[in-house]
Amino acid sequence: MAENLSFLAPMRILRGTDPGRVAAILAAIAVIGALYGLPLLRLAANRLVVGDPVFAGESFGAEIHAAAGLTVAATLIFGGSRSEIGGAGAVTLLLSAFALLTLGLGSTAADLLSGEPPAARASLASGAWLAFACLAVALAIAVGRASRPWLGALAAGGAVLILVVAGRSGALDGLSLAVELRARREAVLTAILQHGLLSGGALLLGALGAGLLAAWRRAQGLVEILVGGIQVVPAVALLGVLVTLASGALHAWPQLRGLGLSALGPVPALIGIAAYLLLPLWRGVTLALRAPDAATLDAATALGLRPRQILAQVRLPLGAPVLIGALRVAAVQSIGLATLGALVGAGGLGQIVFEGMAQFAPDLILLGAIPVIALSLAVESGLARAEAAARRWSA
Amino acid sequence: MSRLRPVLGPALAGIFLVIVSHPRVARTIVGWLGEAPRRALDPAYLSALALNHLLLAGSGLILVASAGVGLGVVATRERGARLRGGIDTVAAAAQAVPPVVVVALALPILGFGGPPTLLALACYGIMPVLRGTVGALEGVPREAREAATAMGMTRPQILSRVELPLAAPAIIETLRTALVLAVATAAVGALAGAATLGTPIVAGLQNQNLVPMLQGAAATAALAFLCDAAMLGLAALTRR
Repeated sequence: MAENLSFLAPMRILRGTDPGRVAAILAAIAVIGALYGLPLLRLAANRLVVGDPVFAGESFGAEIHAAAGLTVAATLIFGGSRSEIGGAGAVTLLLSAFALLTLGLGSTAADLLSGEPPAARASLASGAWLAFACLAVALAIAVGRASRPWLGALAAGGAVLILVVAGRSGALDGLSLAVELRARREAVLTAILQHGLLSGGALLLGALGAGLLAAWRRAQGLVEILVGGIQVVPAVALLGVLVTLASGALHAWPQLRGLGLSALGPVPALIGIAAYLLLPLWRGVTLALRAPDAATLDAATALGLRPRQILAQVRLPLGAPVLIGALRVAAVQSIGLATLGALVGAGGLGQIVFEGMAQFAPDLILLGAIPVIALSLAVESGLARAEAAARRWSA
Repeated sequence: MSRLRPVLGPALAGIFLVIVSHPRVARTIVGWLGEAPRRALDPAYLSALALNHLLLAGSGLILVASAGVGLGVVATRERGARLRGGIDTVAAAAQAVPPVVVVALALPILGFGGPPTLLALACYGIMPVLRGTVGALEGVPREAREAATAMGMTRPQILSRVELPLAAPAIIETLRTALVLAVATAAVGALAGAATLGTPIVAGLQNQNLVPMLQGAAATAALAFLCDAAMLGLAALTRR
C-alpha cells in the first residue's frame, strides 16, 4: 500500500511554497524526459555528417537507468527534507548520476563503434546535452539549499575530477569529442593559455587605463562620453579599425616591426578588448572612490590621517566590494571578447571555434566553446564569492 | 529642443562614420596610411548590406523586447514574485556564453545565415532586458499604484495606464542597450554567413584588403551610433 501512495510525494511537495523545490522537480522531470525522449548519441560515418540518432531504449546499458533513478531519488530526498543535510545528500546523488551518465554514454559509444570503420564517430546528441544541463541546474539548486559556500566549488571540482578520471581511464574514448581532443590536445592547451593571457592582459591594460582616466579629475564629463561611446561600436568593427590603424602605424614607423609588432596579432586584440573594459572598470573606480560618505572622510581627516592613509585605510576597504564587482563584470566580458581576438590572428580558443565553423565540424566547435564557457563561469563565480566576502568584511 | 541634446553626439558620430565608409573617402584614408588602395565596395552594395543588417538586428530587438518586457511584467506581478530570485542567477550565467560562441554552436544545428544570429541575440539579450524591465517597474512609486487602486482601477488598467507609462523611459533605456547589442551581434553573424556589414570586415581581414574592411567597420559603427541616437531620441520624447 505504501508503495502505491509514494507517487503522491511529489504532489505534496508541489503544494509547498518553496520555488526551489518546484524548480528542482521540474529539472528532474526534464532530465528524465531528455534521457528517454531524445536521442542520447548520434552514430555517423565520419566527423562531418550528422549521424543517425541512438535512443536510451535501444542499445544502452544499465548506467542510464541507474542515473535516472538516482536523479529521482535526489529529488525525493530534496523534497522530503528541508534540512541542509537533504541538500548535501541530493548533491552526492546528483554527482553520482552525472558519473553514471558519463560512463554509460562512453561505454555505449565504444560498443556502437566496434565493428564500424575507423572514420565512424559517435557524438553526444541533444538528449545527452539537455540531461547534463538539467543535472547542472538541479545541482546548483541543491548546493544553494545546503547553504555551505564551499559545497559549490566541491561539486564543480568533483564533476571535473569524474571527467578527468573517466577520460584518463579511456572510458570516454569512443565519444567523438574525446577523439577530437586527442587529435588536438596540444593545440587546445596552447589555446587555453593564449586565451587566458589575452583576457588577463586586456584586463590589466583596461584597469591601467581606467585608473588613469579616473585620476584625470577635470575631464570626467568628457571621459564618460568617450568611454560610453566605445561601447556603442561593435567589437568586429573596432577590431577592423584597429588593424587598419596598426598597419598604417607600421608604414609610418617601420622600426616598429623590429619590435615584433605586426598589423595582425595580439596587439590590436589586446587594445580592442581593453577599450571595452574601460567603461565597467572606470565606473567601478569612480563609484568606489565615492563609497565613503563625507562624514567618514571628515572623521578620518579630524583623526589626523594623511590623504595617502585615507586612501589606503578608508577609501579602499570601503570601496573594495564595488571594485571587485566591476572587475567581475570586466573579466567575464574580457573572456568573451577574447574569443573574437582570433579574427585578427591573436590566437586563443576562438581560433579553434572558427576552425570548427570553417570545417562545419560540430565537435571541433565544442572543443573551443566548452573551455570559453567554463572559464567565464569559473571567473564569474569566483569573483562573485570574493565580492560577497569583501562586502561582509567592509560592513 | 534642448531635450534632444543627448541625441546630437551619437548622431554626429554616425554621420561622420557614414562619410568615412564612402568608397572615395575610405580609399583616401587607406592611401594616407601608406597601403596601396585596392578596389572599394560601391555604395549600393554597402547600403544593401546595411539594410539586411538593420532588418536582422531589428527582428532580434523585437524578439528580445517582447520576451524580455513580457517576462519582466510577469515577474513583477504578485504571483511572479518567486521568479525574481532566479532572474539574477540566470542572467549572470547567460552572460558567460558570448554571442560568438552561441553563433558557432548554433551553426551545425540551424545552418548558415540569419537563424544562428537571431538565436545568439535572444540568448544574450533577453536577460538584460528582463532585468531592466523589472528594475523599471519596481521604480514606479508605490503612491502612484495606491492612488490608482483607490480610484478603482483594475489591475490590468493600473499596468497599462500607470505602471508602464511611468516605467517607459527606463524600459526604453534598456532597449537602447539591447539594440546596440543587436547591431554588434548581427555583425558577428557574418562569421556564420549572414550577409551583414560584418561581411566585408571578415572578408577584408582574411585577404588583407584594407579598403572594404575600413568601409565595413565604419558603416557598422555608423549604424550602431545612428540606432543609439534614434533610441535616445525616442527616450527624450517619452520623458515628459
